[in-house]
Amino acid sequence: MPFDWLNPYHLQVASFIFINILLGASIYVTLSTGQLSLGNAGFMSIGAYASAILTTRHGIPIPIGVLTGALLAGISGVLVGIPALRLRGVYLAIATLGFGEVIRVVFVNWESLTGGAVGIAAIPQMGRETLAALEKAGFSAASVGLRNNQFISLTVFLLLFAAALLSILFFLRLSSSRIGRAYAAIRMDEAAAEAAGIDTTYYKVLAFCQGALLSGFAGALFAHATSYISPADFTYHRAVEILVFAVFGGSEHLLGPVFGGIFLTLLPEALRFISDYRYIIYGALLVAMMIYRPQGVIDPPLIRRLAGRRAAEGAGR
Amino acid sequence: MFAEQLINGITLGSIYAIVALGYTLVFGVLDIINMAHGEIFMFGAFVGMLIATKAQAPLWSAFLGAIAVTGAMGYLLERFALRPLRGRPGASHLASLISTIGVSILLENVAHKIFGAGNQLFETPFAEIRFDVGPVTVYLVQVLILAISILLMAGLSLWLYRTRAGKALRATAENLETAGLLGVDTTRIITATVVIASAMGGVAGVLVGMAFNYINNQIGLSMGLKGLAIIIFGGMGSVSGAMAGGLILGLSETFVVAYGSSGYRDAIAFIAIIVVLLIKPQGLFGQAAPEAQR
Repeated sequence: MPFDWLNPYHLQVASFIFINILLGASIYVTLSTGQLSLGNAGFMSIGAYASAILTTRHGIPIPIGVLTGALLAGISGVLVGIPALRLRGVYLAIATLGFGEVIRVVFVNWESLTGGAVGIAAIPQMGRETLAALEKAGFSAASVGLRNNQFISLTVFLLLFAAALLSILFFLRLSSSRIGRAYAAIRMDEAAAEAAGIDTTYYKVLAFCQGALLSGFAGALFAHATSYISPADFTYHRAVEILVFAVFGGSEHLLGPVFGGIFLTLLPEALRFISDYRYIIYGALLVAMMIYRPQGVIDPPLIRRLAGRRAAEGAGR
Repeated sequence: MFAEQLINGITLGSIYAIVALGYTLVFGVLDIINMAHGEIFMFGAFVGMLIATKAQAPLWSAFLGAIAVTGAMGYLLERFALRPLRGRPGASHLASLISTIGVSILLENVAHKIFGAGNQLFETPFAEIRFDVGPVTVYLVQVLILAISILLMAGLSLWLYRTRAGKALRATAENLETAGLLGVDTTRIITATVVIASAMGGVAGVLVGMAFNYINNQIGLSMGLKGLAIIIFGGMGSVSGAMAGGLILGLSETFVVAYGSSGYRDAIAFIAIIVVLLIKPQGLFGQAAPEAQR
């Protein structure tokens, strides 16, 4: 086989990077209006469960399941976002964290729908389904020199890559649009933004909705990448992990959570050789990071510097 | 049996109240949510277990040991994870949140490394001693937990409202800079606050071990989340709010489990705060915060 180096395990880690990028971006979007929401693990679980139930029990195709899951999460984002307008700072953070916990407890207890603590297994996996569909059309993985499991992992990798790339591009564009500028204005000074004629209520709820939609989207993709979900996937730890992606990577620019998602997914893998201590190191690293670079790795000056250097190189050529 | 459930609820509630006090003290002085408090509490429980069960030493030494270890952890937390962030330009309130989350991840995994993942037995020699007061059975452990909690809360209130140091702490909580200008050694007060709050967490850890007879490395997380819910519920930085909130949560959890469904037990705290926040965003006992506060 010509592609023996293509290791399904590495591809899987890489696929999780893209899901984590989406999650990091989801908290960034709400944070870009100055609202700290820790409910994104809850929204993620809504997307994941909705899509898993629709595809597994009702035979709905995966793409429709994913979109429905993301939409449902977005709608719940509006429902949470409206009362959340009254809260700010740590109150909002803890209340949304509470929302995530309540959702998780409901999923544990609503056994007829969600399978309870055991969760839902045998969810259609996007790679496997793609291969099955292609095989029906007379294609085989061997014809392109791949083993079946390599082909499946590669498909998942590429689909998630596309999903993450398109979402990031969309939100990068958004940040320099009317909406993005309204977000930035609200983050800097809400009263001034309101005085300048920005409908702060509308934009704050919109940001909440977009963040929820994005985490629901990531959750649905997660369900169809792993083909098994349970409430244990959406605990407090997940909520904190998502927050850390954004704050470690940098919460002042969208590329921050992207970097955070990549780096912090790879770090535990890279530390696997000292497996017993890796989360101890991870914790210590967070503390050190906040001491030496509290704004996160990526911040707007750094991006300007990198962009400036590239521009200078371009001019010199 | 209603009366017994009432006693169970008050016992549980007084432990919750002590955990919540640890959060509220630190928040009052530093405006920081100490996400590592739950894990420090857990270490208190483990140290108590090592002394009382493994070494068979008397219970009071378990409390002293837990206070010493968690107090020292509080000092290290303040010295290495909070103080370097203070007064730094560009350090938002998110930075200290993440920093304490980092400490909590570190501690949780250190505990996992040392004590393993399973349940550890926490035995006390008098676990089975009980009295029958009419039809009601009361365990000695419950009486002890209640007595220690009340002593601790009364002591804290006295210290806060009747001593010079307590006054300095309240001044620092009111306004760090002004207190500093008026001659309060704010660095010392902050350190003392974090150490005291952590030591209270350690005491609560031993009490939980006594109440439930087993501990594991997950109790920090569940207790931490409930403590957070309580301080939001009772009002951030409010001492009486933390006490009342703890009691209310302990009672409602006990009665929901006794007369309703146990599955939703862990959601009660958060359902309560979501409802309370929507009606009174600053919490039951909180004072309306000025708009400018983040």
